[in-house]
Amino acid sequence: MSINRFASGRFPVLLRKAPFYYSRAYLHETGVFKQNKETAEDSPEVLAKSSHLNSKPLDLSNKAPIKTAQNKIPLAHSKYESSKYELPKWKEALGELVIRAFRLDMDRVRAGPVAGSYYYKICKEQGLQYEDEPLSETAKYFYEDLKLPRTFSQWFQITILHEWMLFVRMRAMPFKYGRNYQQKLVDRTFSDIELRLFEEMKVNSGRIADQYLKDFNTQLRGAIFAYDEGFATDDSTLATAVWRNLFGGRKNIDMLHLESVVRYIHSQLYVLSRLSDREFATGKFKFVPPGVKVEKLTPKQEEELKSKAVSKYEALDKDPKTLPSERSRLSYTN
Amino acid sequence: MSSSNAVKESAKKLVNLLEKYPKDRIPHLVSFKDIQIARFGRVAGLPNVDHEGNSIKQKKPSIDEIKSIINRTSGPLGLNKEMLTKIQNKIIDEKFTEESINEQFRALSCIMNNKFRNYYDVGDKLYKPAGNPHYYQRLIDAVDGKKKENLLTAMRTVLFGK
Repeated sequence: MSINRFASGRFPVLLRKAPFYYSRAYLHETGVFKQNKETAEDSPEVLAKSSHLNSKPLDLSNKAPIKTAQNKIPLAHSKYESSKYELPKWKEALGELVIRAFRLDMDRVRAGPVAGSYYYKICKEQGLQYEDEPLSETAKYFYEDLKLPRTFSQWFQITILHEWMLFVRMRAMPFKYGRNYQQKLVDRTFSDIELRLFEEMKVNSGRIADQYLKDFNTQLRGAIFAYDEGFATDDSTLATAVWRNLFGGRKNIDMLHLESVVRYIHSQLYVLSRLSDREFATGKFKFVPPGVKVEKLTPKQEEELKSKAVSKYEALDKDPKTLPSERSRLSYTN
Repeated sequence: MSSSNAVKESAKKLVNLLEKYPKDRIPHLVSFKDIQIARFGRVAGLPNVDHEGNSIKQKKPSIDEIKSIINRTSGPLGLNKEMLTKIQNKIIDEKFTEESINEQFRALSCIMNNKFRNYYDVGDKLYKPAGNPHYYQRLIDAVDGKKKENLLTAMRTVLFGK
């Protein structure tokens, strides 16, 4: 086991100033998005709601609802991931010392807490639902507006759609870092699913759980391939991929729902494409809710955003007081 | 009567648009284009035939094809035979109005015109990602069968990841 691997699991708390508590994504801070729901007359959610078709998907009676809220697997598995956890000062100092002494590559180490913890968390949250709990705002979009069935495998499909969008951005990072981020995100996904299968879905046979995991793995590969193909070619292909995966090949699909999801995907990718490597790698991204319209940036706004990021990170890099764990070699200008 | 004629006309327009929908590059268990043409063709009162005049019903995947697709996964979750036949046999009773069909038409043409791809243009930053600039090109070449991976390039991918 390399030291990096060890460190990425062990020292996530050292980065607590970096990845964890960004209540708003960077672009959100600029007020480019209209957060106010009343003013958003045009968004993927509104688009999906505007349909007059009123299609009823096949009732494949949900035989496996997720209803065990008391056994719920929390978003944070370990105490180190909790937002309330405070690392003792001496441990923090020791950690910084180790990073400096061994010249640990923090961009590699950071993959664990950022991609494996924070980014997985935001992907998981999008479609998370329990039968006996009210739906969150984004979950309402998927389960009520798009009329998807409230099942475990549907949740998985929603999660991998979001993970794929992050993958697209991760590919644009320097290869060895991007690859590592992808690996951490996938690892965490499957360890979490395994836990959820046992605890929440009450699968009590390891063999059956393994079978499910293998099947989810196949689904993941198929979906990533299909979305990639759609992303690289045209929207028709992307829509077909969404139809096959997210909508499970539903016969009576509402085209407005497809259009809405295609729009949702492109707007998220747009936000991702405007973030620099440094911002993305330190976890300064969150998905734009489906009820919010993503406005396109004017060249002037884009310039403004860029210069803001550059001045921020230049100051951070120059500051001798910046802790070793906060340093990074990733570009902030792209 | 006139309103039902209007629905038929709109559905015909929609079917015409669907005919122009690009074909899947690799065959899947279900084809979006075929299923939707059959669905709206019924509304438009068109005969349920493909371009060669064969009934679409015979174009259902054969047992062998279904088996091959199922066997690609070791534990076909929710894809057991019973469920498949259930889905295949269910003909959905839908009620369309002229308005709703026109909406479908508009949405589909937005998708086919790449409206949002062009509006939210992400540029070469994501289409030719810095970490792996030929990723998408290789993928598309492989799907189209233009460029086959040989043992050397395949080993390179396995060893170095790109």
